Amino acid sequence: MSTIDDTGVVAGVARLRNATTLPTMALSLLTVLMGWLVLFQQVGETNEYLGLPIVELFAISVLVQGLAIGGLGVASYVGALQSTSDRTAGLFTGAFVGSLWAVVTAVLVTVVAGLRMVYWPGSSVWIFSGIPVPLGILLSLLGGVVGFLAVVLPREDLGATLPVSALLVPLGMFALVGPLTVPWTYEPGWTTVVFPGSEVLPFAFFVTSLLGCWTLAKISEGFGATGRQRGAYYLIGVSVAATLGVLGMLVYFIVDKGFATLSTGASFDGWGGRLVLPVVDWAVPWFDANLPFVFNQPGGLFVDVPGVWPAILGTIWLVIGALVVAVPLGIGAAIFLTEYVERGRITQLVEVVTNGLWSTPSIVFGLFGMAFLMPRLSNGGRSMIVAQLVLGFMLLPLVLITSREAIISVPDEYRDASAALGVSRWKTVRSVVLPAAMPGVITGVILGVGRIAGETAPLLLVFGGQPYPSTKSPVSGGKGILESFSFSLQPPFITNSALTERGTALPFQLYTSITAGSSPKPEVFSLSEFGWGTALVLLLVVMGFFAIGVASRLYFRRKLNYE
Amino acid sequence: MSEANTTQTEDASQRTTDDAGGAIGGSAGRTTTGESEERIEDHWRNYEFAGEPKLSVEDLDVYYGEEQALQSVSMEIPEESVTALIGPSGCGKSTYLRCLNRMNDRIKSARVDGSVQLEGEELYQDGVDLVELRRRIGMVFQSPNPFPKSIRDNVSYGPRKHGDISTGLLPKLLGRDDTEQREELVERCLRQAALWEEVQDRLDDNALGLSGGQQQRLCIARCLAVDPDVILMDEPASALDPIATAKIEDLIEELAEEYTVVVVTHNMQQAARISDQTAVFLTGGELVEYGETDQVFEDPESQRVEDYISGKFG
Ligand SMILES: Nc1ncnc2c1ncn2[C@@H]1O[C@H](COP(=O)(O)OP(=O)(O)OP(=O)(O)O)[C@@H](O)[C@H]1O
Ligand SMILES: [Mg+2]
Repeated sequence: MSTIDDTGVVAGVARLRNATTLPTMALSLLTVLMGWLVLFQQVGETNEYLGLPIVELFAISVLVQGLAIGGLGVASYVGALQSTSDRTAGLFTGAFVGSLWAVVTAVLVTVVAGLRMVYWPGSSVWIFSGIPVPLGILLSLLGGVVGFLAVVLPREDLGATLPVSALLVPLGMFALVGPLTVPWTYEPGWTTVVFPGSEVLPFAFFVTSLLGCWTLAKISEGFGATGRQRGAYYLIGVSVAATLGVLGMLVYFIVDKGFATLSTGASFDGWGGRLVLPVVDWAVPWFDANLPFVFNQPGGLFVDVPGVWPAILGTIWLVIGALVVAVPLGIGAAIFLTEYVERGRITQLVEVVTNGLWSTPSIVFGLFGMAFLMPRLSNGGRSMIVAQLVLGFMLLPLVLITSREAIISVPDEYRDASAALGVSRWKTVRSVVLPAAMPGVITGVILGVGRIAGETAPLLLVFGGQPYPSTKSPVSGGKGILESFSFSLQPPFITNSALTERGTALPFQLYTSITAGSSPKPEVFSLSEFGWGTALVLLLVVMGFFAIGVASRLYFRRKLNYE
Repeated sequence: MSEANTTQTEDASQRTTDDAGGAIGGSAGRTTTGESEERIEDHWRNYEFAGEPKLSVEDLDVYYGEEQALQSVSMEIPEESVTALIGPSGCGKSTYLRCLNRMNDRIKSARVDGSVQLEGEELYQDGVDLVELRRRIGMVFQSPNPFPKSIRDNVSYGPRKHGDISTGLLPKLLGRDDTEQREELVERCLRQAALWEEVQDRLDDNALGLSGGQQQRLCIARCLAVDPDVILMDEPASALDPIATAKIEDLIEELAEEYTVVVVTHNMQQAARISDQTAVFLTGGELVEYGETDQVFEDPESQRVEDYISGKFG
């Protein structure tokens, strides 16, 4: 093992460095992961592993990290550890560590000295207790500045390690010997909110271990440019993992809560069922399955398991209607603005207005629908068609903005080439520009559908009927929208009675269930069971739309690239 | 290692001699610049030919914003012939070419004064149908710009959009499916552009996956498919190897039997080989000399043109 070759010393030093940093990095990554899991209550904060409570294990881990970081930093500084240290650890590291110092100082100030509201606005009462708030803020800023300077001023191997060590080691020690234990609570004082130790501690361990991992990664490459590269790699990797983890957790949470509801009374007996197609009334082979929560009515005498079928249909029809309104109009306007109008004042104005419309709160669109559209369409009442239009108007700005961006980014060479072949502008747009812009356009539509499918506020004003319709309403599986078209020779020539009915949609249903305070059949589902089931179905419906969107984007991209 | 080193030194020494030559040339250049106040005489630019001009350009000025890119260019281009445009980079050859099918209209800052006539018909007047005009005067751009479509769709693009060829589901249902004509057209144009051998097995591949030189030939094929009267080519062989270049040169000579071809090139030998008449533009956007190719290359009347052609002046 210890044969010394010509590069023996260097290799030996590198081996020593790796022998210290790599296991410690593994330890800090493990701490980051476990801290995160405890924070989101996937692992109990009082669990015991290896005969020790998890918090004490965390504390030991942080302590070890802190000592290793500090030790390696000093070793590098005195020359015992070969490194390519820079003159300074850099502003970014300084700001990062400095802000942590500021937070720690603030916590210390509130815990040690106590901090109370100095002046209660309106009551003209001054309360003195502990030190005044401005002084506390000043102190924590001072702590931040000291931390920043401690990072930035010394050589990198000291600046990047010791200020970090100074955060990690005390945290580990106080968590080991007290007072930072799970029963401990953090009471800032200036607010009535109280943070329990079971939340504060995992968070603190998570953040400090992230910092530790980052610093160790730098040390493992001997500081300098390569060290920073490695450090950034870990920092970004862990952040991405944490973000994805939060998303995954959210989905898992909903699925976990809603699945029991969704599968109540479900059965699957293979093929052998029949599905009657709407409009044409053909029966086609289908599998013999039963998913009552999805396919049942929420109320009624003969419904054993209440379901959300009307709300699913309502959401699907709303999205389809909104797409029919917004997509052609939005793309058309985008084409007009990019291909037919010179860039200038007017296009800028339109841009500002559409951006404004996109950020307009949805309830405003709802009000517009109620005040303007409802009296003119649908016999004056709330109805499907008004809701579709309102959601379509909401979607329109986004489709316009994204289509415009996508069309603008199509290279001018294509247009020139087409023009030089004697092809008219409209044909060029249709056969060259639009196909090239299509993936971008669809991305915009996907984003928009995600928003409008979950929209509740405007539906309260223009759409919502009974939360739990018991009779088969047109939208809910009686005579459907497709069958309800009727034609006449008098204007308006086409009428559709189903479109002028009220209805329900998934997010609206969720809202009304909560306000109603009970589920349609409390003996089958409690309110929260029904609610989580609805949320899960909403998630699935939105994901279904996403899947369609992503698939069609893929199709257009394929067509563009001939993959 | 050592081999590479020697070649490097050789290169370096060559470069020094080049530099020396350049210095001599440069001094010669300077004398000419001293004389560059030479007045351009009208008869240098008057090219007498038998037959009708296909295109006649008169007093053409082009401005990009404030900057003038072409100065009062007049020139008549005979039909069924090859006209070469040569001149140093930035002297306005592309600009001139773009004036001939009004592609300059698409550049916002460009302003064109003067007159261009196609068979006696003024192009720069109100009411000219640009779509129809560009159908009759096709163009191959300096940088290849195929569409992000299959090779087959690229070639057949023009005729399909003009309605000369209809393929697809609807025409099939109506019983007017031109798939066969399309295949013939694609093959003929690709053969003419010397590309058929290389792409015949991958007509459905994306044209953007072709090499730069292949893309350029594809653009030539795409232009030929429209069957214009006049073909404008902006350095059609600049990205090609000698074999493909030779094929394109053959194609140009062949095209001249039926079409009027105007070619911009930086390659003097090429201009001398393929063209019937040559126009020399010099920096500042002036047409200095225009005449029969042999005469321009062997016995130019302008001193500056002579210097440019013999490589003393760029
Ligand atoms: N779109 C444009 N906007 C502004 N100026 C332009 C534009 N196109 C060309 N110019 C200017 O006009 C002059 C002539 O350009 P042009 O492209 O016609 O040169 P060229 O002779 O084709 O050169 P090259 O041999 O390098 O292709 C140049 O000075 C150029 O800077
Ligand atoms: Mg050019």
